[in-house]
Amino acid sequence: MLNERAFKAVGRPLPRKEDLRLITGKGRFTDDFNFPGQVWAAMVRSPHPHARIVAIDSEGARAMPGVLGVYTGADCERDGLKPIPHNPVPSTNFDVKLTGRGGTKVFIGSHMLLPADKSRHVGEAVAMVVAETRDQAYAAAEAVDVTYDVLPWVADTAAAAEPDAPRLWDEIPDNILVDSSFGDVEGTEASFARAAHVVTMRSHVGRVTGVPLEPRAAVGHYDTATGRYTLYAGSGGAVRQKRELAEVLNEDQQNLRLLSFDVGGNFGTRNRAYVEFGLVLYASRKLGRPVKFRAERSESFLTDYQGRDLVTEVSLAIDADGKFLAMRASNLSNVGSRCVSLSPLSKGSGLITGSYDIPFATLRSRAVYSNTMPTQAYRSSGRPEVTFAIERLIDKAARELGFDRLDLRRRNLVRPQQMPYVNAVGSSYDSGEYEANMDRLLALADWQGMEARRAEAKSRGKILGFGFANYVESSIGTPKERADVIVRPDGVEVVIGTQPAGQGHETSFAQVTADLLGVPFENVTITLGDTDVVSAGGGTHSGRSMRHASTVLALASEDLIAKGQALAAHVLGVPLDSVVFEDGVFRVADRNTFLSWFDLARRSDDEGLPAQLRGGLKVRRDSEMHTPVFPNGACACEIEVDPETGGLDIVRYSTVDDVGRCINPLIVHGQTHGGIAQGVGQALWEQCVIDPGSGQPTSGSFMDYGMPRFDNMPSFKTQIVEVLSPTNPFGVKAGGEGGTTPAPAVIMSAVEDALSEFGPIDFEMPATALKIWSHIQSGRARLRSSNAA
Amino acid sequence: MTTVSMTVNGSPVSRDVEDNTLLAFFLRESLGLTGTHVGCDTTQCGCCVVHVDGRSVKSCTMLAAQANGCAVTTIEGLATGDKLHPVQEAFRTYHALQCGFCTPGMIMAATNLIDTYQGELTEEIVREEMEGNLCRCTGYHNIVKAILAAADAMRPARRAAE
Amino acid sequence: MHSLRYQRPARIEDALKMFGDDSDAAYVSGGHTLLPTMKQGLARPTTLVDLTAIPALRHIDLDHGHISIGAATCHADVAASAIVRENIPALAGLAGSIGDRHVRNRGTIGGSVANNDPAADYPAAVLGLGATVVTDRREIPADDFFVALYETALEPGEIITQISFPIAQIAGYAKFRSAASRYSVAAVFISRGPQGVRVAVTGAGARGVFRAHDMEKALAEDFRAEALAHVRIDPATLLDDLNGTPDYRAHLVQVMARRAMENLGSAQSYK
Repeated sequence: MLNERAFKAVGRPLPRKEDLRLITGKGRFTDDFNFPGQVWAAMVRSPHPHARIVAIDSEGARAMPGVLGVYTGADCERDGLKPIPHNPVPSTNFDVKLTGRGGTKVFIGSHMLLPADKSRHVGEAVAMVVAETRDQAYAAAEAVDVTYDVLPWVADTAAAAEPDAPRLWDEIPDNILVDSSFGDVEGTEASFARAAHVVTMRSHVGRVTGVPLEPRAAVGHYDTATGRYTLYAGSGGAVRQKRELAEVLNEDQQNLRLLSFDVGGNFGTRNRAYVEFGLVLYASRKLGRPVKFRAERSESFLTDYQGRDLVTEVSLAIDADGKFLAMRASNLSNVGSRCVSLSPLSKGSGLITGSYDIPFATLRSRAVYSNTMPTQAYRSSGRPEVTFAIERLIDKAARELGFDRLDLRRRNLVRPQQMPYVNAVGSSYDSGEYEANMDRLLALADWQGMEARRAEAKSRGKILGFGFANYVESSIGTPKERADVIVRPDGVEVVIGTQPAGQGHETSFAQVTADLLGVPFENVTITLGDTDVVSAGGGTHSGRSMRHASTVLALASEDLIAKGQALAAHVLGVPLDSVVFEDGVFRVADRNTFLSWFDLARRSDDEGLPAQLRGGLKVRRDSEMHTPVFPNGACACEIEVDPETGGLDIVRYSTVDDVGRCINPLIVHGQTHGGIAQGVGQALWEQCVIDPGSGQPTSGSFMDYGMPRFDNMPSFKTQIVEVLSPTNPFGVKAGGEGGTTPAPAVIMSAVEDALSEFGPIDFEMPATALKIWSHIQSGRARLRSSNAA
Repeated sequence: MTTVSMTVNGSPVSRDVEDNTLLAFFLRESLGLTGTHVGCDTTQCGCCVVHVDGRSVKSCTMLAAQANGCAVTTIEGLATGDKLHPVQEAFRTYHALQCGFCTPGMIMAATNLIDTYQGELTEEIVREEMEGNLCRCTGYHNIVKAILAAADAMRPARRAAE
Repeated sequence: MHSLRYQRPARIEDALKMFGDDSDAAYVSGGHTLLPTMKQGLARPTTLVDLTAIPALRHIDLDHGHISIGAATCHADVAASAIVRENIPALAGLAGSIGDRHVRNRGTIGGSVANNDPAADYPAAVLGLGATVVTDRREIPADDFFVALYETALEPGEIITQISFPIAQIAGYAKFRSAASRYSVAAVFISRGPQGVRVAVTGAGARGVFRAHDMEKALAEDFRAEALAHVRIDPATLLDDLNGTPDYRAHLVQVMARRAMENLGSAQSYK
């Protein structure tokens, strides 16, 4: 197996290979690409949450300057375009199995590039205008006259699941597309029956959006001479998008080339194809010119795939000593107007018991359509939601039953000697030291000094709140990955099908390759993102990339070393078994002769090589790995509330994250930092608000959608723990999502702690200044009236 | 149409553009300087920050015509040949970027902050003064570290200039 | 963005003429409200007359107990001005708290005052110091200038040339910002000077910036924060949006008023 002592690059905080181009303005983002003759697309977007499209009059628009074409859903149907095959039901061997009611097939409403029947959410594209310039296209889009028959609508998650809710799809009797149950009903019921205590909580982890800072963009070109399509579009994986868009266009996959180079943030939002990607290709075929689309930020707020939106009801059965006996959970996920991904529901379902040894559990998982933008896996898909549920429920149990909240957790954590631990819904946790994580975290967060800090804050008129959460998450993702490893006289090239959006694959994959082959890190380059070069690959999501890449690279390097040995034996004219590979060179035993990789590469095209050694010093290796891993950790924060305004500052934030093998600590810490900010953002500021009266989204810009900023985030204390996973050669788990997963729970835990004198908090995230102030007011009023009585 | 002339990264340029052309798109589309990014339409994200006559501005909220006659510096003009600006260097050393989309604006904002801030930069001041730049990847932690480190590295040069 | 004609006159007379030549003309200075509004398609002027090249509009002067600031002076210059910092530190602090440092390098005092955004900072200083808005044709006292949301006493085509601030004995400002937009949810500017005690509130009023007369009365009798303890603000006149209910804003105005008193004589405005 791996010789850790030989690691020269793995584990070191090496600065990134990608940075030089990005800090000098030479990045290659989608909108940086332009083509001769390029024209622009703009979308006509529905102003209604739900409306039948009666007629589209494009005459006025067509007469406007520069307009080249106006296309509708009817045109798409006429031209034989197919729906986007999102394939939303997770299907690895270890994903929980989601079905429709009574085990039926999940109904997936068709996602055409432009709908011909009706619009199902505000902002849905119902027509496309193409014009010579972007300004002309946008101006003409406003002039397209769409006649709508406005229909009743529903946006709220719980309301959409009601039997009499306005229905989005005629094919099913209501809006519920998934209704599955898991777990041991009998065992759970028996445990609840004998429990000393039962604690219950209902919560809605609301809708947020990913806000990658690069607005989504695409430029498509159909070459009439070759019949081939080219699309530049930043995404979470060009290979997948090529496959899906080929289906949409009803074309052979080899007639499409997708390029995705630098991607300005993803966080899940870009993992599924957008209608505009198919539309620019379609328009380019119709017009014979390259067609570009670039979203305004306001369009991104409205129509980037969104995240979260889960209503959860959880109950915990606890015995008199505080031991957890069983859990009941019911999760309802709002998929929006079309089902793009069920990953959030599925991921969360396998983790409802969190870091705790709870012998029995039952879970009902449901998904519902609504007149909102579709949701997608977003920054730790599904895990923050269920972590929120279990961790907030434990806080509640501790408060109501008089346990210490840290103690109650300790009493129930899964212990290292139980690993691998199969939880009550069947997920097999691979490894981890959950209680040790808690201890490390409490030391890092200076838990001992907290009460003194609380008193000091009080002297300044501030209320300090301490929040805590444990977490376990899962990294599964698409099971297949492929790597080509090519040795040339001047370096090693790796071609692989992941798609980073800032995660530093060009660096960390090079570290792994360098150590596997024993070559200098500087000599390894990673090629990504062009489907004419990258033939297969699973893309980047679910924390899969480092684990899958290191695994396929480990396998490929074994093949490559075998090939190198054979080549060396031939070149040196010695028997194969006398060639040893060590320290990055091929030696002959008892002789002072060796060949480096690069020496061999120079000889790999020699004439007269036997057939099996010809074709260069390179290998292609596929790997398929279904087994998930379970990164885990603990997190604490301290906030200071200003009781006069309800405003708060985060003053300390600490995390301990078991990521398995850490390839590059600089990168992994950075991933954690960013993950924290996104989780904290949801807890305190971020929310896609829909006006309950009109169904209109009202947080459509940075003016209304509060973001983590320099001055509302603290510096973090992050500690990496490396309990190697036994499931893959390097022992990798995953990094980054661990920053997000516990963050909403830990912030709300701190808010509740700070406000404890005013009663348990009864509001949902985000914990805005207005909500906190209102809670303080009502708490004071209650205290006054009870004092008076 | 209007003729716009300015100095960009030390070289004089002159182009005929539509009057409504924003400086950011003039740089990106007329001059091909695609390092300046546009991330929002409400003057908040800061991806488009460049220097105009020595001041940091959001180039998405300024017409190219308003920069007529000005000296403009973009991310492409910051390094001297192969020698990176200390802020660029610090961003790499401290891993102050991930996807890199906000990075040009972030670096242009930071260089201007270090150049023009009267007095000592502290973490608190950096966080306050940089609030006009959004980053979605880093949680800001490493950017703050990089700016403070670059300020330290640049201090002797600043003193000499004073 | 829609098509338009951009002009940059060097003299006020030329600016007036250019404005008069197009019934859909607009003046632009820093453009930090107008350009975003135009990008969203909410304003579509066909001519933009840029006022920033008119030398008479760019100055900060001290004379006869007043600071006069040219309308095209950007926020950063006001914040950094030694004249302003020494004589009305609260005004320098207010200018330094607007938007972010890049916005402050472009946005101007004249533009802000003429726009009269209900959450903008400058209207609070103009009203709270009892300043005079000087235009190409007249002088308008602050009390007559701000009419309603985005509405001022300016006539079509009228150009603000400068704002003249009487130097107060002491002044202070405090604001509470929206987590998203960073505009004020409620902000209070208090001064005691040649016009007595003045208290101006921005960010909170349903009709824009306003004077809190009850607070002024209380402070005129006893110029200490404690004097405000029992003065209530009527929520009926306040804004209701995602950032705050009228009740919350009424409370915030009280808190910010007290903090403005604590900030007297300093450039501190939040935190």
